[in-house]
Amino acid sequence: MKREEQAFIDEDAEIVSFCKKGNVDAFEELVRKHQKKMLNIAFRMIGNYEDACEIVQDAFVSAYKAIRHFEEKARFSTWLYTIVVNLSRNRLNQLKIKNSREAFSMDDPILTDSGELAVELASSEPSVLERLEKRNVQQKVQECINALGNEFKEVIILRDMQGFSYDEISDMLKIPGGTVKSRLFRAREMLRNCLKRVMGDL
Amino acid sequence: MKCQDIQQKLSAYAEGIVPHEEKILIEEHLKSCPKCNESLASLRKTIDYVHSLKDVEPPAWLTQKVMAKIKAEVQPKKGIIQKLFYPLHIKLPLEAVVTALIAVITIYIFKTIQPEMKLAQAPSEHETVIARSPSKVDDEAISKEKIASPLARNDRKRLLLHEKSKDKENLISSSPPLEKTTPSSPPLEKGGKGGFDTEQTMPSKKPAPMDKLEEAPPPIQRQDKVRPSAGAVAKEEVKTEVLSRATKAKVSDEKREVVNVTVLVKDIKTARTEIETTLTQLGGKIIKTESFENKEVLTAEITSQKLTELIARLKSVGEVEEKEVDLGIHEGTLEIMIEIVK
Repeated sequence: MKREEQAFIDEDAEIVSFCKKGNVDAFEELVRKHQKKMLNIAFRMIGNYEDACEIVQDAFVSAYKAIRHFEEKARFSTWLYTIVVNLSRNRLNQLKIKNSREAFSMDDPILTDSGELAVELASSEPSVLERLEKRNVQQKVQECINALGNEFKEVIILRDMQGFSYDEISDMLKIPGGTVKSRLFRAREMLRNCLKRVMGDL
Repeated sequence: MKCQDIQQKLSAYAEGIVPHEEKILIEEHLKSCPKCNESLASLRKTIDYVHSLKDVEPPAWLTQKVMAKIKAEVQPKKGIIQKLFYPLHIKLPLEAVVTALIAVITIYIFKTIQPEMKLAQAPSEHETVIARSPSKVDDEAISKEKIASPLARNDRKRLLLHEKSKDKENLISSSPPLEKTTPSSPPLEKGGKGGFDTEQTMPSKKPAPMDKLEEAPPPIQRQDKVRPSAGAVAKEEVKTEVLSRATKAKVSDEKREVVNVTVLVKDIKTARTEIETTLTQLGGKIIKTESFENKEVLTAEITSQKLTELIARLKSVGEVEEKEVDLGIHEGTLEIMIEIVK
């Protein structure tokens, strides 16, 4: 882990230094470069394109505001993705609260308790199944990801979709590498079970 | 290994990040366990499914919107700074600024006034002390001598003042005359030949009558100098003579001709310091230095005996151009103006 940290070369370092000096226009290049990955992280976490776009905008704005405080301990991109993960998480929490006020919600079971996998999936199963039947595989996978708890979503999106290393994920989520591994294992288990149900067979 | 343990490690195994020993164990188990095989296959499929999720493309307007938002965020920051100048917002900073300003002003005033006060007070005290102490001494002396008349006291004070003024004069006329006495005395002791020689040579140099007239005082001075060397005269007399000589010398200084020398050098500054050191080495006194754009002008006093040596030394510094230099004519101390030109 340490070896990797020492070895990394941040290709954005130069542009970041311009931005730190107050060059707003230099930041545009960083936006162009990273917006797609950020949008995909946000989109897969929230499951809504419009919301994801908003989160990406907010993430870039807060990144620019805080760029002076960015210490080059990690890659700028890692730092940027951390922001988008955090904002997505916050948005999901907001949505949860909003949904909990509604009489009935598909997300209800997730709200009950974070760690209770069996309860979550069991209770969310019927509604998820109904929704997924008419949709294609991509949507089914997305729905299953949506059904996961936030902390499981995060690891599965960052690792299996975006291909970040364990170290990078550990940096982004501020959790130990071992936790990343165990969470990923559990997330995959849950996802597999969900996919088995929605697709009949794997 | 139990199936449960294996299942837990399958996730890592699917990614190929398990230690070698574990890998062997898992692979051995997989050979004989269809259940675990099945879960590995489904796990891999799951990962594949996630991986196969297509990336969504960001909308074309996203970059522009982000930049617009950032620029909108950055500009209001200036507005916030402007808002700080509103009375409500400024209150604290303004107070801080004013406090700092007052502190600075106080220190400044204190710093500027304090030394002046010292200067103003100290000398006055000093003066009174000085003024009082001699008078006290006087008083004591007078009382000892039992001379009580104020007139006598006044006379004494006058005397004191006179002496003081003499001292001052001495100080003003300063070194040149004093210096003269010391170096010029040895040749005089040699039977005053030097003085006579010059006197004798003087008439032979008639072509420059003006110079001769101006050179007239020195011989008289020399004669004066002879007396102290003779030694029989009271000290006070010597003093007055020295003084008178000093005044005479001053007069002669005013009339004294200035020797102009131009030195062509490469580096004015170093040449100047060099010339200054040679001047001081030869017992000369630098009166003033003027620096112009392309030249430096050194005005100095030097005894005539040393003039030739000085010019010789100047030649080593740079190319010397002499203007109206007649070495034989000059006597005693003379003024030399050295122009250092590039």
